[in-house]
Amino acid sequence: MKPNLPPGISATAFADALEAFRKIVGDAYVYTGQALSSYADPYSIVSNEDAHAASAAVAPASTEQVQAIVKAANEHGVPLWPISCGKNFAYGGAAPRMSGTVVLDLKRMNRILEVSESDGYALVEPGVSYFDLYDHIQAKGYKLWLDVPDPGWGSVMGNALEHGVGYTPYGDHFAMQCGMEVVLPNGELVRTGMGALPGNTTWQLFKYGFGPYIDGLFTQSNFGIVTKMGIWLMPEPPGYRPYMISFQREEDLEQVVDILRPLKVGMVIQNAATIRSLLLVAATNATRSQYTDKPGPLPDSTLRKIMAEQDIGMWNIYGALYGPPTVMDTLWTVIRDSFSKVPGTKFHFLEDRKQPNDLLAARADTMRGIPRLSEFSFINWTGGGGHIGFSPVSPIRGSEAMKQYTMVRDRMHEYGFDYMSIFAIGWRELHHVVELLFDRRDPSIKRKAEELFRLLVREAAAAGYGEYRTHLSFMDDIAATYGWNNHALMKLNQTIKDALDPKGILAPGKQGIWPARYRGSHT
Amino acid sequence: MIRRILGTTLFMTAVSGAIAADAPPGKALFDRNCAVCHAAGPSHAGTMRLAETRGPDKAVLEQRTDLDPAYIRLVVRQGLVEMPPWRPSEIDDDALTQLAQYLTRGRR
Repeated sequence: MKPNLPPGISATAFADALEAFRKIVGDAYVYTGQALSSYADPYSIVSNEDAHAASAAVAPASTEQVQAIVKAANEHGVPLWPISCGKNFAYGGAAPRMSGTVVLDLKRMNRILEVSESDGYALVEPGVSYFDLYDHIQAKGYKLWLDVPDPGWGSVMGNALEHGVGYTPYGDHFAMQCGMEVVLPNGELVRTGMGALPGNTTWQLFKYGFGPYIDGLFTQSNFGIVTKMGIWLMPEPPGYRPYMISFQREEDLEQVVDILRPLKVGMVIQNAATIRSLLLVAATNATRSQYTDKPGPLPDSTLRKIMAEQDIGMWNIYGALYGPPTVMDTLWTVIRDSFSKVPGTKFHFLEDRKQPNDLLAARADTMRGIPRLSEFSFINWTGGGGHIGFSPVSPIRGSEAMKQYTMVRDRMHEYGFDYMSIFAIGWRELHHVVELLFDRRDPSIKRKAEELFRLLVREAAAAGYGEYRTHLSFMDDIAATYGWNNHALMKLNQTIKDALDPKGILAPGKQGIWPARYRGSHT
Repeated sequence: MIRRILGTTLFMTAVSGAIAADAPPGKALFDRNCAVCHAAGPSHAGTMRLAETRGPDKAVLEQRTDLDPAYIRLVVRQGLVEMPPWRPSEIDDDALTQLAQYLTRGRR
């Protein structure tokens, strides 16, 4: 098999770089050839299977090894793509943006360096998964909850750096980040915030330190490799009560979102609650073939049948109450009375749910920080494995939610895909995360999915909606939509990139930011 | 109650390798890496999918008697349709061999 080389690097120079990497980490931790099959994006949407193919992978075990690898990469001009746990599936997994890049696999750096029960934080390395941190906290008996996204095997650090969200009151992961250690593209080591003060005792307690707050520069970026990160953990509350509220009509979304906004902004709804569409909920314990063998949008009669069988709504809020029982009782009274204004609203608790794989049972875990993977049963809805997230952001406003919903639903139906989504509610915004399912084995379906995705990006941008995160294949497309004032933000990003990484070795193309050496040939 | 049982299950899964000293090493690897999707019962995406594509009698990996070690190694490294691949930094080749042995020893 012909080796896949980084652009502009000769086979000899590449072999020299790999030899340098082997001297740093040992032969066993430099992967080439067949071993690279596990670094491919399993759910790639683009027809070119080699669009994001790694040339090699190197797996260091320490920050010192990361620094040495970065220095060697500069010396040999070889680009690196850092990954933490490599589980960012639907956004590219462990694969690099640019074909020929060497994956810098940080999974072996999996130490939980500190957990403070009294102050409520953890300090972790990139390879620590939610499962790992949860198990550690349980084994130690700490009265702390972590906040988890749906994929429990993901990296605590990686998810926060990618602006991921979870479902407890600590659901905005980057907002709960405090203090970083970063290897810069020249190999130098930096600690941010209070970490810059020798002998400090507040690195994981006070984010801002002294001077510019720069931690954000190392999220969704290619300006450095984060090797340690602090994350705040929630003290276990004295009470917890998960709930589900279901609504019967498509058009209820508008009223539901308008009721929800003041409850969320006013913190009556305490956690990162979600509104889930009918089919996304149904897909966690059923498949499409159980309801129809016909392609195309499901008729209303089938949707009603699913709702009745699974006792779910066209829209479904999953939320939870936290605190002393009297506080939870009071908050619930306000929430229940507010949503009772929507005709046909039903309120559900765990003890009411009869389905063996009911989603509220899974949500009851994730909304209290117990990591799981069970919600990924939804990819079984059509089978074929392929899934990708389209994730535009809007205000928490009913008219905007309806506009986004109808816009995306109609296009998905036009292209022959089922609409399934989550509206995740942040501090002031809705993340409309749409799941596009496709059969990864069918090139014609993939072509349609890719065409649809690019159309959705363009149409969303024209309506003023930008995506908060995306798959490798669409980073340039979406970066281009953030083009106010002749792409001033991208110019700033490029200026920073060129200053920090003049040889362009770190994650070329990440979030549309290309180093000077590749700019033009890829954009 | 369901939530409590599931939470306990995850915790037990994590420490079972240390507690069950007589269990084969591949069992702990399975519990740690595979069980979350492939254990028996509802809420397991892999089990759900295999029940549909292979039939209920082949849905639970630990109950299968038709698996081949080379096939298991291939699927783990390359993935299979819905299942993503696993990298050698997550499960090295020696561990993968132990996992394959565990799933092919004809246990009932």
